[in-house]
Amino acid sequence: MTRRLLQGSEAVADAAIVSGCRFFSGYPMLPFTELLEHMAKKLPSAGGVCINAESEIEAINMALGAAATGARAATGSCGQGLALMQEAIAEAALNELPLVVFNMARGQQDYFQATRGGGWGDYRTITLAPRDVEEAVAHTQLLFHLADLHRTPVLLYGDYVVAHTSVGIEVNRLELGPLPEKDWALDGTMSGTGRARQIWTWARGKPNTPGPGPDRAWKSIAEKYEEIARREARFEADAPEGTEVLVVSFGTTAPFVDRVVQELRTEGMRLGSFRPVTLWPFPGDALAEATKGCRLVLVYELNAGQMVDDVRIHAADRSAVRFIGGVSQDNSGMRQGDLLAVDALRDRVRQAIAELAPSGGSS
Amino acid sequence: MEREVLFTGVGGQGVQIAARTLATAALDEGREVMLVPRYGGGMRGGMTNAELTVGDGPLRALPVASDCWSAYAMDHAYFPTIAPHLRPGAVVVVNSSLFDVPVDVEGAAVFEVPASGLADEVGNPMTAGFVLLGAYVALTGLVSVDGLVAAMRQLVPPYRTQHLAANEQAIGVGAAAVTPLAAPAWPLNAVTTAGTP
Amino acid sequence: MSATGSARGEPVAAFKPDLLQSSEHELCPGCGHPVAWRLVLEAIADLELSHRTVLVAGHGCYTQMMKLSDLDSLQCLHGRAPAVATGVKRMLPETAVVTLQGDGDMVSEGLHEVLHAGARGERVTALLFNNGVFGDTGGHLTATTVLGQRTKTSLEGRDPEVHGYPIDVARLLAQLDGTAYVARGAVNTAGLVARTGRMIRRALEFQMAGAGFTFVEVLTMCPTGWFVPTADGPDYLEESMMSTFGIGELKVPETSSDV
Repeated sequence: MTRRLLQGSEAVADAAIVSGCRFFSGYPMLPFTELLEHMAKKLPSAGGVCINAESEIEAINMALGAAATGARAATGSCGQGLALMQEAIAEAALNELPLVVFNMARGQQDYFQATRGGGWGDYRTITLAPRDVEEAVAHTQLLFHLADLHRTPVLLYGDYVVAHTSVGIEVNRLELGPLPEKDWALDGTMSGTGRARQIWTWARGKPNTPGPGPDRAWKSIAEKYEEIARREARFEADAPEGTEVLVVSFGTTAPFVDRVVQELRTEGMRLGSFRPVTLWPFPGDALAEATKGCRLVLVYELNAGQMVDDVRIHAADRSAVRFIGGVSQDNSGMRQGDLLAVDALRDRVRQAIAELAPSGGSS
Repeated sequence: MEREVLFTGVGGQGVQIAARTLATAALDEGREVMLVPRYGGGMRGGMTNAELTVGDGPLRALPVASDCWSAYAMDHAYFPTIAPHLRPGAVVVVNSSLFDVPVDVEGAAVFEVPASGLADEVGNPMTAGFVLLGAYVALTGLVSVDGLVAAMRQLVPPYRTQHLAANEQAIGVGAAAVTPLAAPAWPLNAVTTAGTP
Repeated sequence: MSATGSARGEPVAAFKPDLLQSSEHELCPGCGHPVAWRLVLEAIADLELSHRTVLVAGHGCYTQMMKLSDLDSLQCLHGRAPAVATGVKRMLPETAVVTLQGDGDMVSEGLHEVLHAGARGERVTALLFNNGVFGDTGGHLTATTVLGQRTKTSLEGRDPEVHGYPIDVARLLAQLDGTAYVARGAVNTAGLVARTGRMIRRALEFQMAGAGFTFVEVLTMCPTGWFVPTADGPDYLEESMMSTFGIGELKVPETSSDV
């Protein structure tokens, strides 16, 4: 057991390689850049290919092509670069191709981009938001598995903190269970047999092997996503019986929430915390359960209010939901600003509690 | 128990290397570490900070530290960005060759080490960061000096091995310039004694 | 009625390439794409690559060619075929990888992708079916529409003052060090059909020999998009396009001879 001091980006790269990733392409953009650098250094000697593409659009389309051959393929970016990749993410979904996208996000917690997507059609991406480097390593492996299992693009919601924090860690391969054969993969060998394979969003098939056409194909893909939503939601909650104030957050913001909840509990407040681990599928049922009886559901995210929409949809009592986050950037525009701090969060929680009309519960 | 070190300097002074070397040494001595760098895009001249937390069990620390135990400052240029996050009475080790303003931290225990000057004296000006690091480690015993040297050897890339001897010398020079354990990080019976001068 | 006078529904040729699952296409009378595509399928079969070929196709009338062909195929996003093909070929280095795009797909939307794939020397064969118009969307201006050509977005004819100039992507590619073989043919005369067939074959041979990026542009007829009668397509191609886009091999690897 040898732990090494690994930057999050390097640990994620190692996790991708032990998962069997053999194709990676990307365009430099902080804080995604280090992941590309580590893959450029390590993937070739692991028998894979890493390409510094000439644009984000190219990068994701190269990865899509590699994925079409059955290889485990990945790409990544953040912010504006990820915006460029939206078309291809949707295309991969409607092609039913497994593809892992590493979103090493900048300062704003861009929940909408990671869950609503700007692509086209009825598609989703399974999106995991780790709270720290250790979880990012586990999530990376899980994402390659889920992508293959469900034949869908998937997204890791990382960020500057995940990418740049170094911890002592050992990256071991996780056993995640059996997977179906990739009999749909293109390798040229079915050409000339009368039964050549085809990957086409319009799903019209070929004369010898007619396809379902776009209507039936896209309906069945939409149903597949409903099935994924039933099976793959994950969350973490610390909301014992009697919790009156629940603080909801995601990703690397969650440890700050946990710290404040612990502190305020020592003052007698009945606080709890909830964090979706999958941003999509959003663990709505679990949130509904955790918010039962809560007088306040405080949503702490570093943006102008994005996940709060999903919280309002599922909270047991919509009127209890308050947004206590905000846009917060540091000067470089790369990472979260002053709002990502225990003091700032503690103040906002206290203030929200103070504004609540007294009703005989603990204050 | 957890101890924090906030590093600050100007791009090119080896701040990130120093932080990483200390983190590696701590990890190799069996502790838990978390290291969070903070720097912008340019390769030279801008702010370069880092936060290191070292603990003897699973860390409670968050990636944004407050109330930190100590600081390592190669330059005063960006010290105001870390000063608010130091606790009263923090241990502050500064490169007095370049850091020549008062330390604005209540009750701080300030240790001035002319690291750049000492590095110049031995003919290796680029090792000033390691001089200061050697001094920091000798003062605090956060890790052993031998452990620090071993970590440095591990981290120097294969195409820079000509610097190993100079770096090791710099660590020694810095360690010799201060009173050992004048500001111990750990309770004295817990400090590792292997190799501490 | 077509130039040969055959009634609708009667096949002109008595045989179809093995790699075509069906010749029932829905393209316009006088379209040059089927003729050009036939040459590709014949070359693949002649070179014994029938069981070792993957096709990446863009969006256009020629997408039907993908659908009808007995080749492992992937339709990709508009303009992106060379990037997608890069991913495919890097994972399947022993497989023949062919991309099929029209001028709108490659030279308008996808200029970035094809130039970079060429510069990188990706060992794929990129095919451009160039009829100087966006046929599938109803006849609009592309980056290869020639000066004077009427389209729905250049109703008085392409005017350089307003619409700028067409791009000769073959000439651009020939200048890049990563490209090994760059050629342009046409399918408006029997002689050029035969010559173009040889170009396509050579491109595939060079790909499999690992020479680098190979490219064949084929000027094809689009009488519908050009607003000309079907039978006039072949002559119109010569008059309108060939003065801008010359026929021939623009670049060959050093040790080979000309077609």
